[in-house]
Amino acid sequence: MSVTPGACIGCRACELACAAAHMAAGATVGSLTRPPVPRLYLVREAGTAAPVACRHCEAAPCAAVCPTAAVRCDASGVVVEPARCIGCKACLAVCPVGAMAMAEVQDHGRPVLRRVPDPAVPGGFVEEPAWLASKCDLCRERPAGPACVGACPAGALSLVIPGEVRRVRLLAAARAMAAAASGAREEGR
Amino acid sequence: MSARPVIAPGVAPVIAIDPNLCTGCRRCAEVCPVGAVTGPQGQAQTIDAERCVLCGQCVQVCCAFAAPFDEPAHDPAAIRRQRGASEAAGPVFAAHARCDLDAAKVLVADPSRVAMVQCAPAVRVTLAEEFGLAPGSLTPGKLAAGLRRLGFAVVYDTTFAADVTVMEESAELLARIAEGGRLPLFTSCCPAWVRHVETAWPELTPHLSSCKSPQQMAGALFKSYAASLDGFDPAAVASVSVMPCTAKKHEAARPELRSGPAALADVDAVVTVTELAAWLKEAGIDFAALPGEPFDAPLGRYSGAGVIFGATGGVMEAALRTAVALCGEGRETAGPESGIVFTPAGPGVARAEFELAGNKLAAVTVSGLANVGPLLEAVAAGTADFQFMEVMCCPGGCVAGGGTPKLLPGVDVAAAVAARRQALGNHDRALPVRAAHANPAVTELYAAFLERPLSHRSHELLHTVYGGAAKGGHD
Repeated sequence: MSVTPGACIGCRACELACAAAHMAAGATVGSLTRPPVPRLYLVREAGTAAPVACRHCEAAPCAAVCPTAAVRCDASGVVVEPARCIGCKACLAVCPVGAMAMAEVQDHGRPVLRRVPDPAVPGGFVEEPAWLASKCDLCRERPAGPACVGACPAGALSLVIPGEVRRVRLLAAARAMAAAASGAREEGR
Repeated sequence: MSARPVIAPGVAPVIAIDPNLCTGCRRCAEVCPVGAVTGPQGQAQTIDAERCVLCGQCVQVCCAFAAPFDEPAHDPAAIRRQRGASEAAGPVFAAHARCDLDAAKVLVADPSRVAMVQCAPAVRVTLAEEFGLAPGSLTPGKLAAGLRRLGFAVVYDTTFAADVTVMEESAELLARIAEGGRLPLFTSCCPAWVRHVETAWPELTPHLSSCKSPQQMAGALFKSYAASLDGFDPAAVASVSVMPCTAKKHEAARPELRSGPAALADVDAVVTVTELAAWLKEAGIDFAALPGEPFDAPLGRYSGAGVIFGATGGVMEAALRTAVALCGEGRETAGPESGIVFTPAGPGVARAEFELAGNKLAAVTVSGLANVGPLLEAVAAGTADFQFMEVMCCPGGCVAGGGTPKLLPGVDVAAAVAARRQALGNHDRALPVRAAHANPAVTELYAAFLERPLSHRSHELLHTVYGGAAKGGHD
C-alpha cells in the first residue's frame, strides 16, 4: 500500500472500509456486526496525516520471529493464521513500521477465544476473546482488491506492484535522459 | 451567541460535530450545501448554527469514528451514553445527529397516551439496509409489523398525508394562478429547504407554499380527525414520526407547527431510520423474519403519488397528477401519471412546460440545495419564467436524507440512492391507486372532515405561515 505524499486528508474512510471488509456487513454502518477494528491505522502528527499499513516485506521480520509459524509469507504477501497465533507479540516488537497490532480476531466469523483460569472455580477455566496478531492482508479474499484503496475519497491510496513501479520509473528515467540528450543536441547547433 | 429566542431550551442541537473526534478532513464542509461548516484543514470543524439547514449531509459523509485504539483512546460506549444513542446503533462518529429514541420510547410506554406513528415514504426503502439487505430493499409490510412489535397502538403513514399535501398544494397553485397570487410557488415539504429560504432569502418566504409538510399534516390529523374517529382526547395522542431526515427533528419543534385550540405539537418526537433500526435491534426483533402487515386505516392508506414524495421530482409529479386530472384537457384518460416530462436544465435542475386549465405554465425541480442559488436570484430579480418550483435539499431527495442509513466508505452512493429511488418507483407502479385524489381514504377525509382543499378547517390544521425559522434558530 502506498500513500501519495500530501494527498491524505485524514478522514479515516480507509480504516472504516478496512474494518467493514473484515466482517459480515451490508452496505451501511448500522449493518456492521461488531465494533470496527481496522488493519491499517491513520496517523496524524503536526499537520501530516497518513494511513500506515503492513508493507508485506519480502524478508518479513514478523514471520522470521514468529515462534509458531502463525505469521508466514506466501505469494499474496505476509499473512497471519489466527488459529496458530499464541498472542506472544514478538511480531509486534520487530515490525519496523508498527503495522502489527494485537486485536480481537475473528476466524470463520467467530472471535478466537482463549482459556484463562477461573479464580472462582479451582481447576476451572473461562473463555474470553483472545487478542492476537492483526495486520493488513491486502483484502486477499475480496475480489475488488483492498477496500481502503477503493474507499479513499482523495485518491491518496494505491496498491504498489513492485514490477509496475520499476517499469514506470525506468520509463520516466529513459524519457528524461532522452530529453536531456535532445536538448544538448539543440544547443550544439 | 446573541439573545435569540430558543425554541427548546436545554435540548441538544440537531446536528453537531464532536471536536474530540473530528480529524479536520473537511469532507463535511465540502458536502454542506450552505457553507455552514467552517474550520482549518486538520483541525476540528464547527457549524454555523444560524446558517445550518440541519440536512445532515455532514453526518452522512463523516468517517471519523471513535475507536478504543485511538491515541488518546476513546470510549465509544461512553460517547454513546453521553449522546443518548443506542448501544445497537454501531460506531460513533464526529458529525452526528441528535438521537430522540428515549423521547419516543417514553411516549410509547406511557399508559395514559395512545401512541400513533407515521413513517415517511423513504423509510420503507432504506430501513432494511441496516439489517444487511441490499440498498433499496422495499419493506413496507415489515416496517408496519416492526412498529407494532415496538408497542405503537396505531401504525399510520406519512404517505397518506403526502396525498393530502397534493390536494392542498395543487389547489393552492391553481388558486394563486387564478387570483394573481405570489408566483412561482415553492414546495414546502422539505424543512431544510424551508429553513434555507427563511434564513438566507427571507424576502422570498411569501413564495413558499403555506402547506405544512406531510409530517406535520399527518401529526395535525392524528390529533384531530384520527382522535375523533376513535374517540380519543387529542391531548392524549402521542404523535411519533419515523423520518429519513434530520431537519424534521427541528421542524417538529417549531412553534408555527402546532394545531388545534390547545396548540398541541403536531409531532411529539421524530426518530430517524437509523434510530428505528437500532430500536428494533435493541428490542430483539428479527426484522428479516417479520411478516408483512398492513398500515392501519384510514390514515395509513396511500397512493403511488404519496410514495414518490421520497425522491426528487416526486412532489412535483404527484401534484401534477392531480392538477392535470382535475383540470387538465382530458389527460386523465391517458393513465395515472401526469404525462409531463421534465428535462435536465442545469446541474440538479429539471424543467417542463405544459398547459393547465388554459394557462401556459413552466415548472422546475431542484435536487440538492447547492443548485438552487441561480433560480432564487432570478425569482428575487423578478425574472423567473416558471410558476412552480420543487426543491429537495438532499441530492436525490429524501432517500438520500441525513437520517437514512449511513453508507460505508467505498459503497457507491449514487448507485445506492438510485436503487432507493427505483424501489419507490416500483412501489408506485405496483399500487392499485396512483393519484392522491383517487385515494378513497383522502376522499373520505374531505367528505367527512375537511370539506374541500383550502377550506377553513384545512387552513387551521394543514397550513401555516413560514418565516419564523430565522428567529427560532438552531434548536
